[in-house]
Amino acid sequence: MEVDEAQARMREIQRIMETATLFTLLPGTAAIVGGLLVLLGCGASYGLLHSLNFADIMQLPMPGRITLCLLWSTIAIVSVIVNVLYTARLAARQRIAINPRPAQVAMFSLTPCVVVAAVLTLQFLMDGEPREIRYIAPLWMLLYGTGIYTAGLFSVRAPRLLGLAFLLLGILALFAFPDYGVISVGLSFGLLHIVFGTYILMKQRQGAAP
Amino acid sequence: MSEPSNVPSKEPKGEPLRPGDIDGVIHERVRLSIVSALAVTAQLSFGELKSMLGLTDGNLSVHARTLEEAGYIIVEKSFQGRRPHTAMRLTPKGRKAFARYLETLRQIVEQGHRGGQDYS
Repeated sequence: MEVDEAQARMREIQRIMETATLFTLLPGTAAIVGGLLVLLGCGASYGLLHSLNFADIMQLPMPGRITLCLLWSTIAIVSVIVNVLYTARLAARQRIAINPRPAQVAMFSLTPCVVVAAVLTLQFLMDGEPREIRYIAPLWMLLYGTGIYTAGLFSVRAPRLLGLAFLLLGILALFAFPDYGVISVGLSFGLLHIVFGTYILMKQRQGAAP
Repeated sequence: MSEPSNVPSKEPKGEPLRPGDIDGVIHERVRLSIVSALAVTAQLSFGELKSMLGLTDGNLSVHARTLEEAGYIIVEKSFQGRRPHTAMRLTPKGRKAFARYLETLRQIVEQGHRGGQDYS
């Protein structure tokens, strides 16, 4: 065997090991925690809005609007932190790197979608136009679904299926139920994440790949 | 180029490499991919390995059988509900052979930088 071939084989081994590593780095518990936080957020949103339509935020006084925005920003930030912590714990337990290259690529796939969703949300809220605001929930579902699906291309099948489920629910929410954003978010970011996390945990306990 | 970090080599280092030291069972590309994936996971299902490595059913079956016959992997067949489920995992013998193969690669690279020999 030539030196070049030996080096190529070592690179290939590294690539496969990093990809396989992702099987064990999916934090199921974090997904469940995130899902539960979202369900709590939906309950709190309904309590503030007295409606299932996020567009009704415009009928709230300014403190109410700010509270709702802070609520969802906090849920997003806490979910990300919980995810990072659980991933780090999993990685430490299995003595593997927390950020193998495929994980970095997956993160880079998801980030633009989240940024676009955040920018459009900000614009819709600044416009203050209820007809636009009611599309915020489907917009997040579609863009998050796209990001997760793309990120899943560098991982195992389960995240791709989660991404597809978000896309399907997002399309349904966009065309059929744009005025029921609180329910759409609860079903997708809440329930889907809980189902996904439970599935991952179940598979990991069986010792099989998700 | 660094050695993959997830599997530490436990083989003694420094012994001169001889032609024929390369393990023919692991050296084949598909089998090497299977062993590399199994080295960092408790076990993988047939479907997941197939999807991850881009293999056909037949291809994976043939190479898995070779690895199983060499005692490098264990193939467990069971049922999940009514569906047959095949899972594979690396045996201690397979893990040792993989570590030895990595060490061989490392030596080839090292010796190649020093003088250059072909061990195929």
